Amino acid sequence: MLKTSIRTKNLSKSYDNKTVVSNVSINLPYGGIFGVLGKNGAGKTTFLAMLMGLITPSEGEIFIFDKSLKLHKYEILKNINFQSPYVDLPKKITVMQNLIFYARLYDVKHIKKKILKLSDDLFIKDLLDNIYGTLSSGQKTRVNLCKALLNDPKLLLLDEPTASLDISTSEFIRKYIKSFQKKNNSTILITSHNLEEIEKMCSHIILLEKGKIKFDGKKNELFKQNKSSSLKDIFLNDD
Amino acid sequence: MINRILALLIRYKNISFGSFPRLLSIFYWPTVQILFWGYFTNFFMSNDSFGIWSTLNIILSAVVLWDVLFRGQLGLTISFFEELWSRNLPNLFITPLKDIEMVYGLILISLIRTLIGITPAVFFANYFFDFHLFELGLYLIFLFLNLIIFGWSIGFIVSGLVLRYGQAFEELAWAIIFIILPFSCVYYPLDSLPNIVQDIALFLPTVHIFETMRFILIENKIVLNNVFIIIFLNLFYLILSILFFLKMIFVARKRGLLFNQGE
Repeated sequence: MLKTSIRTKNLSKSYDNKTVVSNVSINLPYGGIFGVLGKNGAGKTTFLAMLMGLITPSEGEIFIFDKSLKLHKYEILKNINFQSPYVDLPKKITVMQNLIFYARLYDVKHIKKKILKLSDDLFIKDLLDNIYGTLSSGQKTRVNLCKALLNDPKLLLLDEPTASLDISTSEFIRKYIKSFQKKNNSTILITSHNLEEIEKMCSHIILLEKGKIKFDGKKNELFKQNKSSSLKDIFLNDD
Repeated sequence: MINRILALLIRYKNISFGSFPRLLSIFYWPTVQILFWGYFTNFFMSNDSFGIWSTLNIILSAVVLWDVLFRGQLGLTISFFEELWSRNLPNLFITPLKDIEMVYGLILISLIRTLIGITPAVFFANYFFDFHLFELGLYLIFLFLNLIIFGWSIGFIVSGLVLRYGQAFEELAWAIIFIILPFSCVYYPLDSLPNIVQDIALFLPTVHIFETMRFILIENKIVLNNVFIIIFLNLFYLILSILFFLKMIFVARKRGLLFNQGE
């Protein structure tokens, strides 16, 4: 049985002597929704990108599902997926063509069946034949989430999953992510500026400040430690 | 009003002269045109022994084969740029797709795009101008493959540069082929070039490819030595360019560039 989903040891990233992530060591158990919080430039996206092998760390080690990312990268990547509003899919082809492409890259079995099931769940079935570039941002988010779930990831990384979405779509996405986590017992790591969202979804929070870990633990401990009842208070008091 | 026009002028100046490749794109066309047409005219003013139809056949063969190189390079770079333009690189690089698999994919799509692009042109030329590219026989396959391979080499270099240094280098995708055009001796033989330029041009496989093409069309023979040189140079450049492209992906990961690309 897997002990940890993500373990990092003294993880650091610097660009031209500017440190973006510094000595981050975390140990996340398998299964659950975890939040990564921090102000702009705190190093959240860099941290997430390092976990996916998109950015090579300057120092330190990453272990995903108890295996070294450096040594078992492609084996690990089969079980990871990612969604971000800042990362898109090719705009000139249809939603279906995009999804089939990614399903092939992840070696998904019964591709069409899988896409139809997910697109039904995410209410994008009617969009499958549409050109991706013509979709609204809410529709794109749902399509991207569909892409992110194609391989039933054991580790799902979500970078601001509800950014620029209306309230009802945001709520739908949050519910869906929660139900996916429960059903698959996967690990989900979310970064968001929406503190309420993190508060609602995550039991465990990692707080980054200027690339360093300021807090890593249960949400309630964070509240207790800061004598606050909400993340918003903690962030505002911090200013 | 003057302030607003001045603002526009400064803005366009910054865009146009802001990077070396963009600056290069402003002056490469006139220079390339002068060099190319100068050598071309010199050659044809001093050689009228082939006859008009043979000459036309040689020129049309050269046009089509040169386009193989251009399509091959463009087919590869544009396919890669599509990923950059659509901000799709992070999605791609977090899949189990290996970097070398991407190289194979780009090569194959370039081959398909080139075949689709070139085939109608060959048949139109055949129909309208009594042009017989197929006179080159089996050698045509050899020349085609070697031109497209050199196109891939250029394509990988350009793609690597864009990945590493950003979209300013995109201009190179269209410019680079025409920069080497005058020195590739596509429409005139190598000895049309000044001696010193000839020595440099010999490092281009294109020179040997088009010399071979002319030799086959005029003499109906092939020089084996040329064949070996073409294969050697092409393999050397292809391996070098793929290693360069892979290195640039490695550097992009190190510098966090995969996340910041796109329109």
